[in-house]
Amino acid sequence: MAAVMPSRLAALTRLRCSIFQTSYNPTGVRTGAKYLRARLRGPSMLKYYPPEINLAQIARKYPELEIVDEVEEQRLQDVEDRKKRGKGAPKKAKTKADSRRNQRKR
Amino acid sequence: MPNIRVLRDIKARHGVQANEIARRAYLYVARNQALPPQVRHQAQLQLNTFGRYTRPTTVKNRCTETGRGRGIMSEFGLCRFQFRLKALKGELNGVHKASW
Repeated sequence: MAAVMPSRLAALTRLRCSIFQTSYNPTGVRTGAKYLRARLRGPSMLKYYPPEINLAQIARKYPELEIVDEVEEQRLQDVEDRKKRGKGAPKKAKTKADSRRNQRKR
Repeated sequence: MPNIRVLRDIKARHGVQANEIARRAYLYVARNQALPPQVRHQAQLQLNTFGRYTRPTTVKNRCTETGRGRGIMSEFGLCRFQFRLKALKGELNGVHKASW
């Protein structure tokens, strides 16, 4: 069997590329085309978690419905109770000396 | 109410979705060997300016029930314990406990 000339093989590849509408790239240069070809992954990423109803948002949007968020009410009540027992969050330091004093107490 | 890690993951997912096309364009320029090196370098520098929550690798599939990050069955999006609970309750179609 006679060997085929390399130039003939290259011509064949070029012709094949023109027929199947692919780019002729005999040296395998990286063109970055794969980043344009790949599908966008963002839309499917957004669908992973099931949609959640945000009660606080609805209550803010429609104040006339008077929705009571029981979990939030309970949390606020707990904070109040803790404050009464003197277990509330400390006051925000107004000056540098205040914040240093708080550090030393620990 | 999802925990903070799930909220952060949701934030990352939104960020990826919003910046995906711009990132792809910069990636194309930066990885294209046919373009001059200066242009490619500039594109790479632009890629580095994107925030943490715009990279698709930041996104992690967490348990949709509990938010656990490890031991997730990706087909169901559940961690191994939630998977077991739901499977035993018969809430997962086609899954039943092996016995022979």
